[in-house]
Amino acid sequence: VQVDLQGPWSPLLGRLTLDQIPYTNPIILGTFFGAATIGLIAVAAILYFKKAGYLWREWLTTVDHKKIGVMYIIVGLVMLFRGFVDGLMMRTQQVMANGPDSPGVLGAQHGFLPPFHFDQVYSAHGTIMLIFAATPIMAGLGNIIVPLQIGARDMAYPYLNAVSLWLTVAGAALIMLSLFVGEFSNAAWVGLMPLAELPYNPGVGVDYWMWAIQLSSLGTTFNSINIIATVVKMRAPGMGWFRIPVFSWVNLSTSIIGLTAFPVLGVALALLSADRYLGTHYFTVDHGGNFMLYIDLFWIWGHPEVYFLILPPFGIFSEIVPTFSEKPLFGYLTMVAASFAIAGIGWSVWAHHFFTMGMGPDLNGYFSSATMLVGIPTGVKIFNWLFTMYRGRITFTTPMLWTVAGIFLLLFGGFTGMMLSAPAINYTVHDSVFVIAHFHCMVLVVAVGAFAAVAYWWPKVFGFKLDEHNGKLFFWTFVLGSIVVFVPMFMLGLEGETRRLDYVFNTEWRPLLIAEEIGIVLYCLSIFYFLKMIYVSLRDRVPAADDAWGTGRTLEWMTHTPVPFYNFAITPQVNALDELAWRKANGLENVKPKEFVSIHMPSNTCVPVLIGMLSMAMGFGLIWRIWWMAGFSLLAIIVAIIARSFDKNAGYILTAEEIANFESKTELASVIAEQPKRAPLGHVEAH
Amino acid sequence: MSANIFQPVGIVAKAEYHYTVLLVGVMMLIILPTLALMILFPLRYRKSRNAAYAPNWSHSTIIEILAWGVPFAVTAVLIYYSFTGVYAVNPYNPGVLAKSPGAAEPPINVDVITTDWQWFFVYPDQHIATIDDLVVPAGRRVQLRLTSTSVMNGFYIPRVAPMIDAMPGMRTEDAFEVDEPGTFEGFSTDFSGAGFSWMQFSTRVVAQSDFDAWVKAVQSNPNALSYAKFTQLAHPTVNVGAKPSYFSVPEQGLFEHVVSDALAGVVYPVPDSLTKSVSSNEGKAESTPATASP
Repeated sequence: VQVDLQGPWSPLLGRLTLDQIPYTNPIILGTFFGAATIGLIAVAAILYFKKAGYLWREWLTTVDHKKIGVMYIIVGLVMLFRGFVDGLMMRTQQVMANGPDSPGVLGAQHGFLPPFHFDQVYSAHGTIMLIFAATPIMAGLGNIIVPLQIGARDMAYPYLNAVSLWLTVAGAALIMLSLFVGEFSNAAWVGLMPLAELPYNPGVGVDYWMWAIQLSSLGTTFNSINIIATVVKMRAPGMGWFRIPVFSWVNLSTSIIGLTAFPVLGVALALLSADRYLGTHYFTVDHGGNFMLYIDLFWIWGHPEVYFLILPPFGIFSEIVPTFSEKPLFGYLTMVAASFAIAGIGWSVWAHHFFTMGMGPDLNGYFSSATMLVGIPTGVKIFNWLFTMYRGRITFTTPMLWTVAGIFLLLFGGFTGMMLSAPAINYTVHDSVFVIAHFHCMVLVVAVGAFAAVAYWWPKVFGFKLDEHNGKLFFWTFVLGSIVVFVPMFMLGLEGETRRLDYVFNTEWRPLLIAEEIGIVLYCLSIFYFLKMIYVSLRDRVPAADDAWGTGRTLEWMTHTPVPFYNFAITPQVNALDELAWRKANGLENVKPKEFVSIHMPSNTCVPVLIGMLSMAMGFGLIWRIWWMAGFSLLAIIVAIIARSFDKNAGYILTAEEIANFESKTELASVIAEQPKRAPLGHVEAH
Repeated sequence: MSANIFQPVGIVAKAEYHYTVLLVGVMMLIILPTLALMILFPLRYRKSRNAAYAPNWSHSTIIEILAWGVPFAVTAVLIYYSFTGVYAVNPYNPGVLAKSPGAAEPPINVDVITTDWQWFFVYPDQHIATIDDLVVPAGRRVQLRLTSTSVMNGFYIPRVAPMIDAMPGMRTEDAFEVDEPGTFEGFSTDFSGAGFSWMQFSTRVVAQSDFDAWVKAVQSNPNALSYAKFTQLAHPTVNVGAKPSYFSVPEQGLFEHVVSDALAGVVYPVPDSLTKSVSSNEGKAESTPATASP
């Protein structure tokens, strides 16, 4: 089967030629030199301080769920920044390219981004924010906290956990690479069909998008399997189903979505790659193809994906509100039920993403009704948080401030979502920036949930709190920025501004476009305060207590701060929902174990990071159709997996004496401390 | 020119606005009290205020029933109105047009064909066609059939007609009626590639007599829209400022032809070079509107 490619192809370099490097574009060139400088400084610093070995042994080859979680979050934050810069460019382009008389620079007729670049920027923004920022940050939080909350030593499959991380990193790296080598997709984060098919998108952009998502979606599926197995099988003795903290419950429900939904995306993208690489006709218009099939498959994944992202923040709020209200969570059981109701209904609403595609009124009415049902469990959650605050003693630390902001965002996002779920309204604002403002409210719930969680659990991981003063400045500038960007965006949507416009024809919208740009400036300010918060916290490092906030209720606050790499010296016995609160009520919170027993720990392995690098090479080879590179990488991955199965390393034993030593000097066992080499149990036969 | 949905003119658009207000009103029954609690509780139960404190209170059957029951009741009402609304403004056959002044007369049929990145409006009964200019008589129901030569587009005239997608190889329908003359902005809502931002068209609603005169004038235009001519014009073109073109004697069955073309694999590919240089092509497209690129 032959596909018609435009441009040259050679066996050695595939489609890659020198013209594919956009060195003539000053924005990309500047970005490249900026990134290269930062990269070189980082490498130089690592070599100068002789940290390369530490980085390799303690981070790149680790299977520790906390370190993997931290790396997930770092990747997510880097990508969040990249996605924000994309957003900044889009907003600046729209405010500049407003009306026929607006001037143009850098080769653009209006503004500074010609459609060729703008379309890549908006596609990258969506792909990055959802798949490579929100998803890794939430996966990272789940990784760090779930085992601690249920009293487990690690995730059920530590090795698979590292593979998940490095597959996600490989996808993120491919997206970053598309900036400097070739181009990114111009067919939106959803892959607009048939626009993403070869006749309309002959370049490598769609291939970058497709393989980057494919790799990370594989990682997310593995991570979901891991979380499910961990929550189901690894709970501490005494923790029955209804003693599981809500954050761990939502991770279970969200991982069930992840495990069942992400394969649908994988299949949709695989069929698209068959179209683009083998010349099949799954989603083409001609030869019996049907692009509506892709749109259905995409949203059958895409809508559950939204709940996949939003459920963890619901769990985060459910942990933070009780801690800072000094009260148990109101309606624990209904909170759990509501989480699973949301996860379940999420499967039956996907067609509300295309009410305008010509479905009949019965079908549109059905999907409208199903969508509205989501409002019920979501409303229950809001009421439960509110009644947790009722007759509480609320302290407004930064995690609590973020939580309250998240509940407000959820109310406005939910309200506008209900509007959009009615086809009679949807026909007027579908594909307008009203929709954009609505789902940004929702993903901002994810963002503020992430910031709340990072501030809340930071001391548990690193041993000191984040600076509250700069944290509050970060909070207020971020919230103000969100209001100033998205309230005008709602108004522009009602005025009829379409999404994805490189050039805005209506000059009456200028004041609102300028307002959005001011909001972006506030966001820039919030990034400054975020960095300052990190800097001040790292500089001061005020040690935090085991129960860092003094009012913690769950298991993770029982072990040491910073948490030792083995989590709990002795697996705790669970007596109640909110175990720590129960122990405090019974005066048992300071009871420490006197004797220790040795712990069987997993050894580090270089295979996951190797698989990640090889997957990236395979992706790169497929994108540029460098068949030898893709083939060898795939072969090497298979060889690495087979070779590992012959590895007799069965982990190592952490002796009781070592644990006793760590328990008195906890900083020696923290996630950033370097561990001595411990001999593996080499003679145990794998079974 | 405002495209505000709060200033609806068409009968269907007015119904959409009506349902917007109605549904938002019902939602406010639950949104506003919730908002009040969200402001009240965090302020009232701050630690520094020493308000009542119930350290172990975490269950109340009454509140639980209300927390599920009130959203359930409001959602039930919303679902009811959503269903009546979807029939009232169903783009294929809007319920509200059944009793409209135009219902007595046969509708004006217009076939809408989107290309990259222009709008063809073909009037099969009047034997005329236009690019980027939709002219219809006031007080008559306008019945549209839509398709696309290339990728998906969204057809939308905010103050007049509900949004509907135009898709290659398929036919969708839309209907509207405006009872007083006016000029309205229409545009594509579904991203279709590099020229998407410039994909606007004007909708002119005129008195019946003016419409008849306009039809006559266009009919006498020597510029005939043969199938060969259409395929030439359907190549990717950025029509800056949506400059209209007019044609007489469009090919019989052009709409069906375009649909079967798409199913048979006729594509108007967007060359990589055009995508990259669409900004520099812009000026060129402006000087020669509605001509095909090579």
